[in-house]
Amino acid sequence: MNIITLIKISWRNVWRSKLRSFVVIMSVIFGILGGIIMIAISYGLNEERMNNAVDTYLSHIQIHNKSFSEDYNIKFKIDNLPQIEKAINNDDRVVSYSKRIILNGMLSNSNGSYSIQVKGINPSEEIKVTNTYEKIIEGEYFKSKRDNTILVGKKLADRLNLKIKSKVVITFQDENYDLTSLLYRVEGIFRSGNSRYDGANVFVRNLSITKNLPNFSGFHEMPILLTDIELRDEVKNELIPYSSNNIVEAWDDISKDLAYANEMLAAVLYIFMMIILIGLSFGIVNTMLMAILERKREIGMLMSIGMNRYKIFLMICFETIFLSLVALPFGLLSSYFIVEYYSVVGIDLSVVEAGLENFGVGTRLYFKVPDEQYYIVAIMVFIISIISSIFPSLRALKINPVEATKTF
Amino acid sequence: MIETKNLSKIYNPGKFEVKAVNDVNSLFKEGEFTSVVGPSGSGKTTFLNCVGGLDNPTSGDVYIAGENITRLSGSDIIQYRLKNIGFVFQSYNLIPVLSAKENIEMIMLLQGIDEKSRRLRTDELLNQVDLYEMKDRRPSELSGGQQQRVAVARALASKPKFILADEPTANLDTASTSNLLDIMSKLNENEKITFIFSTHDQRVIDRARRVVTLEDGKIVSDTKK
Repeated sequence: MNIITLIKISWRNVWRSKLRSFVVIMSVIFGILGGIIMIAISYGLNEERMNNAVDTYLSHIQIHNKSFSEDYNIKFKIDNLPQIEKAINNDDRVVSYSKRIILNGMLSNSNGSYSIQVKGINPSEEIKVTNTYEKIIEGEYFKSKRDNTILVGKKLADRLNLKIKSKVVITFQDENYDLTSLLYRVEGIFRSGNSRYDGANVFVRNLSITKNLPNFSGFHEMPILLTDIELRDEVKNELIPYSSNNIVEAWDDISKDLAYANEMLAAVLYIFMMIILIGLSFGIVNTMLMAILERKREIGMLMSIGMNRYKIFLMICFETIFLSLVALPFGLLSSYFIVEYYSVVGIDLSVVEAGLENFGVGTRLYFKVPDEQYYIVAIMVFIISIISSIFPSLRALKINPVEATKTF
Repeated sequence: MIETKNLSKIYNPGKFEVKAVNDVNSLFKEGEFTSVVGPSGSGKTTFLNCVGGLDNPTSGDVYIAGENITRLSGSDIIQYRLKNIGFVFQSYNLIPVLSAKENIEMIMLLQGIDEKSRRLRTDELLNQVDLYEMKDRRPSELSGGQQQRVAVARALASKPKFILADEPTANLDTASTSNLLDIMSKLNENEKITFIFSTHDQRVIDRARRVVTLEDGKIVSDTKK
């Protein structure tokens, strides 16, 4: 008997009890659907978090002075900046860049003081690199003619009860470690979607700093936006030789937690998917055991007339595998369409807005499933179905043809 | 030729022993049309199970064409059954998902016979059991008698030397029984296939040319007509 005939018999056997097979197939379809939607939500959240971080403050690459990352003294400025700018300006892979003065200090008003990082920016440059200007929920993004205006995050504004035009004082150490204070007036309040960021970062014009620090010139941070995030390592490596005093980092070097989250996510999702499929496999095994019990006489007859154990084993294996394989395309297709739909439309999660902001993501979740995940899920289902087929097949082999057929 | 020598099958040996077959010596020659009869529990089915190599005797030997089949290993006995013995079951035991034609063909598929030969043999057998017109019907679309005729055709598919049939007419009405016996008699006469039935059915016993009677696992009479 060739394998085609065995497959044909097995296939027809699957449909002998249509309702039972349908129930098992539906359970596998929903298992796949549930697993892939879980993957879609997880990847969507992570992607949203990563994009939010890249668009709001990280960019694809950042350049700092090596010592600045350790000391945060404003004297540690980016080295060889003109040459770096020249290289970047001639690089087609670079979309835009900006130059920031970074001050680590305290922001105070009559309601209290909070530790913050001040980003001294050129607004016209900055809007090409980050999207804070889109996140203004009150006031405006540096439209005032005054130099000493400040943008604060919503969380910080709430903490210090800041309104538009409220006055705040920023205190920081200058190059000589002497305390310097600058007065600002709130021009805008932003909400980035990451409440931790909103509570610890403010934006001012870099002119407002340099005017008050006559001996200071230069920049501490240079965020660079590329045409494609995947080019980050390539461009980074080309910028490193411009100065040994600088440190050039890609977004995943700077924000290790985001980078690890990506790696961890894949591993965790495989574990969850495997748990779902193992749960399903018990249903498949149970169904097949029932089918074997019902067909004990028939299997006994096949053994009696000369079908060997190997073929009986294969026949039951094929039946079990078919149950999963029938479900697989329906599960994958239904998942694909649902994921595609919600990757465009998104799901409104504003009911858990506060929690999501703490996590660094917005309130609309867009599904995302990398293509390879569909292949991996398909392979996992196939492997699980093969494993599920072993136990029922072994049970079938234990049938005694004499007892099963009752006559012969 | 089938020969049993001191064939015994004892269930629960040592405790509550049941001697289903008790030291049976018998000989069935090629071309015989034999009924094995006896009351319920006389050991007819167990005897045929041992002769057909489905059950292992507790002691004794079964020789088929000079070969001691009780000495064959598990896989060898399966191959032996496939090539040399045809089985007809009381409850037909056809595969419900296959058509009449496919049920017959399956034995030949197991034997690895090529497609052309299979098709010719299947058509020939369907004609012999007068079911050619119903070849594409599944068992559920056939009557009991028709199903049993398919089962006979299936048993014949591998051109076995012997057909062992346990109560083949037990579930059939008079017309179907008569029709089935006509077919089997014709096959026995024309193709010299040896038939051994276990049966209670007087209609079968009447058509048999030899009647072996078992009681308590022993042959108590062996009559040739």
